[in-house]
Amino acid sequence: MAVELDGRLEAVVDHGADTRSLFLGLPVPFDFRPGQFISCRLPVGGEILNRPYSIASSPEETRRLEIVLNLVPGGPGSHYLFGLAVGAAVRFTGPWGSFVLDRAPEAETVFIADGTGIAPIRPMLRRGVATATGRPLRLLAGAAARDRVLYRDELDALAREYPAFRWDHVPSAALADEVRRRWVDGDADRSRHFFVCGVGAIVPAIRDVLRHAGYERRAVQYEKW
Amino acid sequence: MAKLRVQFESGEPERVIEFDPARAPFQHDGRPGSILDVLLAHGIHLEHACGGNCACTTCHVVVKKGSERLSESEEAEEDLLDKAPGLTPTSRLGCQAVIEDPDAEIVVWIPRYTINQISGHGG
Ligand SMILES: Cc1cc2nc3c(=O)[nH]c(=O)nc-3n(C[C@H](O)[C@H](O)[C@H](O)COP(=O)(O)OP(=O)(O)OC[C@H]3O[C@@H](n4cnc5c(N)ncnc54)[C@H](O)[C@@H]3O)c2cc1C
Ligand code: FES
Repeated sequence: MAVELDGRLEAVVDHGADTRSLFLGLPVPFDFRPGQFISCRLPVGGEILNRPYSIASSPEETRRLEIVLNLVPGGPGSHYLFGLAVGAAVRFTGPWGSFVLDRAPEAETVFIADGTGIAPIRPMLRRGVATATGRPLRLLAGAAARDRVLYRDELDALAREYPAFRWDHVPSAALADEVRRRWVDGDADRSRHFFVCGVGAIVPAIRDVLRHAGYERRAVQYEKW
Repeated sequence: MAKLRVQFESGEPERVIEFDPARAPFQHDGRPGSILDVLLAHGIHLEHACGGNCACTTCHVVVKKGSERLSESEEAEEDLLDKAPGLTPTSRLGCQAVIEDPDAEIVVWIPRYTINQISGHGG
C-alpha cells in the first residue's frame, strides 16, 4: 500500500553540472521493491506538480531514500528540486510501479540503462547479486563517456566482488545497435531477461529490437521516462 | 460536444461531463484529451502517480460504454495493464485513452481500488 510522506532533504551530491543525487530522510520506515519510484508533489507556481523519481537506494535502507535526477532545460519540476537547500521538505507518495526485480533472477539477466535510467536498476542489481544464483548479470550503461556513468566506482567494485556480474559502457546513441549486436545477432539464446530504462524513444526502440528477435514479451521489462 | 459519464464503485453519485475534444489539453497531466485530462480538469481526482506518463497503473479505469470511440491502446499500455490489479477486458489507463470524437459518449467506471491507493499521511 502506498503512503504519503514528508521527506527531509538531508544531503545533496552532484555527479556533474546537471545531475544530482538527493538524499531524503524519512519520518517512518518506508517499504518498497527494487525498481519502484516515488511520486513527488512539488509546489510550483501555485500548483502541485506530480513528478515521479525512481528510488536509487536499496530497500534495506528504510529511513533514507536516494533519488538521482537531471536538470531538464526549462523543466519546472527538476528546477524546483535543484533549487532546494538541505533541510527542505519534499512531500511524496509511493512506492509505485511494477518495473521491479525483487527475487533471485531465474535466467541470465541484462540491465540496459541510459543515463539516469540507472536509478531503478541500481537496487535491482544489488538485489540480483545479493541473491547470487551464479546466473550471469550484465549491465550495459549508456552515457557520453565511461567516466560519465553514474555509480561507476560502485559498479566496478560489484564486478570485482561478484564474478557473475559484468558491466560495460556504450555511447547512448549506440545503445540499440549494441543490444542487437550482443543479444540478437550474437547467439540464438532467447532465454535471457531484460530490464531497460531511460528517457524517450530509445526505450521502446530497444524493447522492439528484443521482442521482434524472439524474446518473450514478459522477459523484456522496461520503463520509459 | 463529447460526453463522459463517470461512475464510481464507491457509490459516489455519477458525474456527467460535456466537453469539446478539440480544446484539449485541459490541464497538464496525461495525453491531451485523455480520460485523465478530462477528469482532472473537472475536479474529479484520479490518481496518476507517474504523472500520466504510462509508467504505473494508478489511473486504471474500466470503460463500460464507448470503448471503440477511444484511441487504441499501444504496446506500453497493454504491458502495464497486464500487471494491473482488477484487470477487466475493457480496462484502460486513464492517462492514455484519448477521446477524440466530438460525438463520443463514453461511460467509465472508477474501481474503488483506483481511489484508495494511499493509506494516509505517515509523517
Ligand atoms: C516512472 C518514472 C520515473 C522517473 N524517474 C526519474 C529519475 O529517477 N531521475 C530523473 O532525472 N527523472 C526521472 N523521471 C522523469 C521525471 O519524472 C521528470 O519528467 C523530469 O524530472 C522532468 O521534469 P520537469 O518538470 O523538470 O520537466 P518537464 O517540463 O516535465 O519536461 C519533461 C521532458 O523532459 C524529459 N525528461 C524526463 N526525464 C528526463 C531526464 N532524466 N533527463 C533528461 N530529460 C528528461 C521528458 O522526456 C520530457 O520531454 C521519471 C519519470 C517516470 C515516468
Ligand atoms: S498515471 Fe501512471 S499510467 Fe496513467
